[in-house]
Order: sequence, then C-alpha cells, then structure tokens
Amino acid sequence: MKRKLALILIACMMFSVTACSTGTETKSDSGTATEVPSKDKELNGEIVLWHSFTQGPRNEFMKEAADSFMKAHPNVKVTIETFAWSEFYTKWTTGLQSGQVPDVSTALPNHVVEMLDADAIIPINDVIDNIGRDRFYEAPLKEGTVDDNNYSIPLYSHAQVMWYRKDLLAKAGLEVPKTWDELFEASKKINNPEDVYGLSVPMGLGDLLATRFLNFYVRSAGETLITEDGKANLTSKAAIDGINYWVKMYKEVSPKGSLNFKTLDQSTLFYQGKTAFDFNSGFHIGGVETNSPALLDQIDAAPIPKINAGDETQGIETSNIPMVVWKQSKHPEIAKAFVESLYEKEKYIKFLHSVPAGMLPAMKDIAEDPEFLNNPTIQKFSAAVKVISEAVDKGTAIGMEYKPSIEAGIITSQSVIEEMFQNIVLKNESVESAAKVAEKKLDDLFKLAQ
Amino acid sequence: MRTISEKYKKINKTGLLFILPAVLIVVLLLIYPIFSSIYFSFTSKHLIKTRIDWVWLDNFKFVLTNPDFYVAFYNSIKWTGLSIVGQLLIGFATALALNKIPKYSGFFRILLIIPWAFPAIVIAFTWKWIFNDVYGFMPNLLTAIGMTNQNINFFADPNFVFGTVVFINIWFGSPLFMVNILSALKTIPSEQYEAAFMDGASAWQSFWSITIRHIRGVIGLLLVLRTIWIFNNFDLLYLITGGGPSNLTMTLPIFAFKVGWGMKQLGVASAITVILLLFLLGICLLFFKLLTKWERDDR
Repeated sequence: MKRKLALILIACMMFSVTACSTGTETKSDSGTATEVPSKDKELNGEIVLWHSFTQGPRNEFMKEAADSFMKAHPNVKVTIETFAWSEFYTKWTTGLQSGQVPDVSTALPNHVVEMLDADAIIPINDVIDNIGRDRFYEAPLKEGTVDDNNYSIPLYSHAQVMWYRKDLLAKAGLEVPKTWDELFEASKKINNPEDVYGLSVPMGLGDLLATRFLNFYVRSAGETLITEDGKANLTSKAAIDGINYWVKMYKEVSPKGSLNFKTLDQSTLFYQGKTAFDFNSGFHIGGVETNSPALLDQIDAAPIPKINAGDETQGIETSNIPMVVWKQSKHPEIAKAFVESLYEKEKYIKFLHSVPAGMLPAMKDIAEDPEFLNNPTIQKFSAAVKVISEAVDKGTAIGMEYKPSIEAGIITSQSVIEEMFQNIVLKNESVESAAKVAEKKLDDLFKLAQ
Repeated sequence: MRTISEKYKKINKTGLLFILPAVLIVVLLLIYPIFSSIYFSFTSKHLIKTRIDWVWLDNFKFVLTNPDFYVAFYNSIKWTGLSIVGQLLIGFATALALNKIPKYSGFFRILLIIPWAFPAIVIAFTWKWIFNDVYGFMPNLLTAIGMTNQNINFFADPNFVFGTVVFINIWFGSPLFMVNILSALKTIPSEQYEAAFMDGASAWQSFWSITIRHIRGVIGLLLVLRTIWIFNNFDLLYLITGGGPSNLTMTLPIFAFKVGWGMKQLGVASAITVILLLFLLGICLLFFKLLTKWERDDR
C-alpha cells in the first residue's frame, strides 16, 4: 500500500512539472467601450502600465512620465511594472487567460496582431487624432490598423542596417560594400580567424536572426517571405539564392559557433571587435559604447546591400514599437490620456534621447526638430542616423509587407527557418529540398493558427 | 473483526487536522494541474483564444504522427540514460574516495557539492562561455596546446553537442549521488568488513557483498528520482542549446514547450505531457519492482 502511495505521489510530482504550465481557463472580459479622453473631465482612478524598458535611462524616463502625469492629475495613480521583452510575451498571454493584463502597455508589432486576434486591445484613433494624425509616418500607423481603426500608436522606430568597421575596411583597402557579392568578397578578405571574422551568420533556435538575414536578401530582391495571400515563400528564386548566399557566408567567413547564436551572442562579437560586419539598428551604437568605447570611432552604418548596385532601393525591415490600450482596462480614458502625455514635445524628445540614435521618432516633425537633432551622439553618428531614418521610412516588420498578419508572428517565432539552415549546414540537406520542407512546415503552422 | 466505528474511533483526529493543510496544498498544487492537463489533452485549448472545443484523440494523433515527437523521445531516453549512468559512476567514485579520506572530507564534500548549488541559468551561461569557439576558454586552450588545429565549437558540431550537454549534466548532477551514497557508506558497520577480512574475503568480495548490498537501496531510490528529474529537465538544456542544433538536443519537455508556448497549442502540449506521464509511470513501476526484489532478498 505504501509503495502504491509513493508511486502515485511520484507520478504527481513528475507530471506537475509540465502540467503546471497549462494554466487555467477563464473567459476574457467582454470589453470596455472606447471613450474619448476629454481635457475638461477630471480623471479619477488607478491604471497599471507595463513596459519593456528595463535599461536605465528609458526606465527612469517612464517613471518620471508617470510621476508628472500623476502630478497633473492628482486623482490618478499609475502603477508601473517592467518586463524584458522575452518575459513580456509570456506575461500578457497568460495574463489574458486570467484577466491579469494592464490598462496600457508597450508592445511589439507581431504582438499587436496577436492581441487583435485575441480581441484584447481597443482602437485609439482618438489619441492619434488628438496628437495629430498627419505628424506620424504612415507605415508604422498602418501596422496596427484594421478596418480604419488604429489599435496601436507607434512610440519609436528603428530599422536594420549594415554596420561595419571603418578601420578594418581601410586596412584591407576596401570600399563599403553595396551589393551582396561585394559584402562576401570584403568579408572574405578581412576574415582572419580567430582574430577577426568577416561576418557572423547567426542560426540559433529560439531567435529570429536567420529569418532576419534571409529576409534582408529576399527583400533586397523585391520579394517577400510571406506572399500576399498569406503563404510561406521560401522556394522563390530570391529565397533559394538567399539561402545559398548565407550558407556560403557561414562556411567561408563566420565562426562555426554562430550556428547556435542568438541576438546577445551575435551582438557581443561585434561589440568585442571580433566581426567586421554586422546587421542591427542604431542600438548597436550604445552596445559598442558600453562594451568597447575605443571602437566607437571605428564603426558606421550603411544601407543593406542589394543584388545589383543599380537595383531600386527596397524597404527592408523596420521595427515600430507601439503603445496599446487593453480592452480589460477599467479606465481606458486614463490610459489614453497617459499615452497622449508621452508625445508632448519636450517629454518625447527626452525619451528618444535616452537611447540616442537607437530610438528614432515616429513623428515626422520631431525627426527634423533641431531640439531632437541637437544631441552629441546623434550628431556624431549623423550619417548613420540618416541611413537608418531612410530605412525606417521604407521598411516594415518581417512578413508584414502587405498587411499586419498572424503569419508574420509565426515565421519569426517558430525558428523554422533557423532549423532549415541548421539542417542544410549540419545534415548536408540540399537547399531546395530543405526550403520546400520548411515552407510546408510554415504553411501547416499558418493553418493551425487559423 | 473490528467494526468501522471502532476503526474510526482509533483514528487520531488531531493528527489528521495537523496534516490537513499539507494535504490541501498537495491537492491544489499537484492533483489539480494533473487533471486539468488530462482534460486539456482532449480539447483544443489555446494559449490565447478562450474558446475550447472537445477534439478527443486528435491531439494524441497529431503528436504520434509528428516525426519531431519521435526525435524528441529518442533524445530524451539518450539524455536521461547517459546522464544517469555518468552521474552514478562519478557520484559513486567520489563518494568512495571521500569515505576513505580521514581528514578534511567535509571540506571536499562542500567543494564537490558546489555545482548543485548553482541555478541553471548560471550553469548554462558559464558553460556556454567556456565552450564558445571564439572567446571560450576550452576551445582556445585545446588549440593552444596543439590538441586541435582550429577551435572546436562544442555546441555546434554534431559530433560533440550531445556529449557536451550530457557532460555538463553529469557535472551538475553527480554531487547529489555523491552526498547520498556517502551518507549510506557511513552507516555500514566496520565490523562487517573486519569479519569478512578474517574469513578471507577478497577486496572485491567485500565490496560486492557488503558495500553494494548496503547502499543499493539508496542507489535505487536515487535512480528513480533522478530518472524523473532528468527526463523532465527543461531549463538546463533549453538555456544551453534551445533543442538545437538541428533538433539534435531536442527532448520531450522542449518539444512540449515549443508546441504549447511557441505554437500556442496547449491542448497538444497537454497530450505530450500525458504521454510523458504514462511512459515515466512505466519506468517507475520497473524500478519499484527491482527495489521490492532487493528488499525481499535482504530479509
């Protein structure tokens, strides 16, 4: 009897490890009606703000913004909870099930699509109109728009560009590469393991870097990884050429460990001066400044290479980080008023300067405002900021070239493309058959999500 | 024969009252998730969507026809088997060595238990750093002393990756075997060895008939517990390799996580955990049969 009891208890123990993660089932609230925040109406209540600005200056800014909002509205309390992006997704998805979501939060464009699919957020057209709809760039607004309703408001933008080491290029007598072939040749010439590598080609599971790199190539050819009718597109000529290109780059100029690299591993190599080229946004400036200040004078940014130098410039990848107001909020009017307060010119520029050149304005007038441009880092990297700004204007999130879609979230979160690259490199699978298998796998996942 | 009321009178009600909170916690924290998972495994439970439909055996069909499931299942068995054998051998050897050290054995015991005290995140990042092929200590050392021509990446090379993560798991888990086996060794009366020596028993005979006989119960229980823990282990492997490269280190818990949190199909993930439960119950039954046999032999 005792043995049976022990067996049952052990069974409970081992099962609970995985079972606990399944959570509980709670039907979501039917929602709250949209209310236009009125300047004359005295706001009264408590809201919870979730944001993902875990780094010092941005985190400090959000605290200050909440304090100043509470000062202006004495009957309002803003409670801030901070989560890194990696935790954020788990937090809101599980929170939605149990009714534990905030009133207002930051989000990622892919999250917004899923939030919309789950009917979790409300339109904020009124907030955008109050700030000035014409002041915003069109593309970021479009990312959160369904049936003329704006469900998100872009807070800042950044775009992927090519970063390079000026000193290494000069030493090798090379110009900044403008085409993919030139990039390969330059990387090969500079490549000198284990002192410095031409370029690291990251393929780690649980991150989107291989998808991102493939998207660079495919977009530069004017193609997309997701078709207009929402199908995976890994067998187009551009995609096959792109896969071949990155496999060749991996074999010739990349550290072999990049097969497992995620964002941190990839960036760390560039920060340490171990790679001559890398792809990232303006956030790379802060990373180099913190880790290797001596290298700061040696880095610069250039547009993503093209197939042929004379090709038309295509929009590649832009990330517009927005704010959203949650349907379960008891005080959407306060949440909206708070969001609106973040765009007051002085406050907004202060926020952007907390990561200078990393966070670019979502509003056209601010991008040209001398007050914004008058920052030592932005001035030092003015050429890079110009390159990023131009890229921001044209690009979209990966897979959202035609419209916001749930498929875009799947292609960047399921590591199917990363796994495809690993299979080609490790198992010597042919590019064509690996691409076909990955494409089918993605299409199956797209169907499953419907 | 005693009646039910007599039996009821004999029950210590105060004692029952004292254990009631613990029983309630067990019920809430263990029983509820188990039954909810079994329930979800027959439904279309989604991570975000609130609508739930009965799909009966569809989730099990999806899992059992998915080639990735069998890859993960095979990897789980390999991961558990190799880790358990390694942890047992290293833990046993260090326990025997410590048992023979007359001085400072406490100091060495603390030193050897250190890996067990570290959280998985620290272990994962430390070993990832040590084995990094660009700036990692180990690949550079091997190249510097001429053992390799170029830096090996232990987590990217299909010939090394599985062995490397198993090595890390052995390093992490053997102290638990060591501490428990050492405690069991300390309880063996020295007179038994003296009597065996007087009777002319060889060192091997003493080791087999006295040492092993005394500690096999402890080893058996450790094997049961560690099999469950290692089979269910998620954090260490996920943090180091994420199941890659090319699914070479993807185990069932990682597969369940990917399905449940990546694809948001909690119903399917629940079906995987139910299959996992049935498999581990079978393994535990085998272990318990063995333990029962040992107990009978000892009587």
